[in-house]
Amino acid sequence: MSKGSQLVKPAGYTALVVFLVLVPLFIKGGYFLHILIMAGIAVILTSSLRTIATTGQISLAHSGFMAIGAYTSALLVRKLGLSFWASFPIGGIVAALVALLVGYPFVRVKRVYFAMLTLFMGAIIRLIIMEWRGLTRGTSGLLNIPPPDSIIIPGLVNIAFDSKVSYYYLILALALISLLFLYRIDSSRVGRIFLAIEQGDYVAESVGISVTNFKVLALCVGCFFAGIAGSFYAHYIKVLTPDSFGVLQAIYIIVYMVVGGRKKFYGAILGALTLTLLPEFFRVLKEYQPFVFVGILLVTIFLLPDGLVGLPDAVKPCIQRLRKVKISNA
Amino acid sequence: MLEIRGLTKQFGGLFAVNNLDMIVNQGEIAGLIGPNGAGKTTIFNLITGFIPPTKGQIIFKHSDISGKSTHSIAEKGLVRTFQQNVFLPDLTVQQNMLASCYLHPKTGFWEAILNTSSYRKKEQYVCDRTMDILKFLGLDSVNDELVQNLPHGYQRLLGIAIALSTNPKLLLLDEPLAGMNAAEVSESLTFINRIRSAGTTVLLVEHNMRAVMGLCDRIVVINFGRKIAEGLPEEIKRNKNVIEAYLGTSENAAGT
Repeated sequence: MSKGSQLVKPAGYTALVVFLVLVPLFIKGGYFLHILIMAGIAVILTSSLRTIATTGQISLAHSGFMAIGAYTSALLVRKLGLSFWASFPIGGIVAALVALLVGYPFVRVKRVYFAMLTLFMGAIIRLIIMEWRGLTRGTSGLLNIPPPDSIIIPGLVNIAFDSKVSYYYLILALALISLLFLYRIDSSRVGRIFLAIEQGDYVAESVGISVTNFKVLALCVGCFFAGIAGSFYAHYIKVLTPDSFGVLQAIYIIVYMVVGGRKKFYGAILGALTLTLLPEFFRVLKEYQPFVFVGILLVTIFLLPDGLVGLPDAVKPCIQRLRKVKISNA
Repeated sequence: MLEIRGLTKQFGGLFAVNNLDMIVNQGEIAGLIGPNGAGKTTIFNLITGFIPPTKGQIIFKHSDISGKSTHSIAEKGLVRTFQQNVFLPDLTVQQNMLASCYLHPKTGFWEAILNTSSYRKKEQYVCDRTMDILKFLGLDSVNDELVQNLPHGYQRLLGIAIALSTNPKLLLLDEPLAGMNAAEVSESLTFINRIRSAGTTVLLVEHNMRAVMGLCDRIVVINFGRKIAEGLPEEIKRNKNVIEAYLGTSENAAGT
């Protein structure tokens, strides 16, 4: 690594963050800001699902764990009068605790069997929400969830959550912190252990890694951030119904991850952003979203098996060939 | 160092290992041999906790490890290699080593997330140590190769390198020479001898008889899950039971 590239990277990230901070200045309509906020939620969900996936497990309960965070936080604020700032981490913690509870029996099975168990887990969470009407108001939905309390530091800051802009900054901060945390996991020794488990659990176990414990750890971390995302969602949308957390939503998160590419950390971010922002340019097709997604998924799997992150490697040979043709023509 | 008492493993009605007693002394290279299907790999699986024994005790460094989980046995310093070439296929040689280097030193979750200075020191140590092991086994030249592209001999050695990254006290080698050519075999024999001189006790299963006889201090022979002989290589070579187990009895020979 040359000294130049060491400087370029942090500079690039800083520029990106500054750009993201300045975005609301350029956007007048609230609608596009709303799309960006939803994209932020999707980024947290997809990246946290990827953390679980790095141990070789695909969870279909991610929207379910998001629901746990959402309902926990909303109910704590509504019933107990807690502040959002206290309830929203609790939403994540409760989701992680539930993951810890089901994790030990769940991770005993692998691959498609794990996916099946989590599919049922997601369905059970949704059923509980639908049937526990006394607490969650079932299918009629939890309404009027209060927004986060204003951040007031006398004389300095006064941020009220009454506009899309303030929510945009909140999700931006949340997403950046979550991504930083997940990135540290991915690039540190913990991530290497996850990778070892995914690539060869016999080897991992034989060199002293407790495969079960680390799989549960990955599940808990992933579900914590799903819970956090859910809790933000609850106080942003202000209405919760069990329909928002179905299997289809869970599958969408997986599609984001696969399309973006699972092998690189930024793949999940790329996939989530592309697939939440792209459909907005094809609004006519909104009703056919599942069809569109299936199409995108098929194209990705056939043309870019490594997802969007594999694009540079896939394009490189084509460009080289083009160059050769040009040179021979000249 | 390792003491096995009355070890039995039953799969349904089949006794894969039957009332086996066996000892591995500190500092030796012990051999475990027997015809195909004799139960050698099952014994390895039992010792390292991949499968639980039906009966019997496995004592390692004065504590009973029978029925314990594989990773906690590895933590005590008892590590195995595999008969197949087992590693992390999509990674390079060095990445394999870094990923499997978990026990020495251990790092905490928060330490790693927060990237503390003690964590960075440990990472540097891990890097240096894995490099030392790769150099020790002559694998440093293929450091950045994807392991699935390596020739078979290197892949076998990598299996040993991965096991060595845990700093084992007792290393179980499951057919370390399988499928190697003559040059690779003689090279591997030197490595195994060097591993022993570096202070690791070795127990190995191997079908290459000449190598076993030359390498091992003591040999245990099993057949149908039972021990049929034990002793120095010279004694084993002349043992009637052993010759029978490998070649059949003279009556059988006459019958065919």
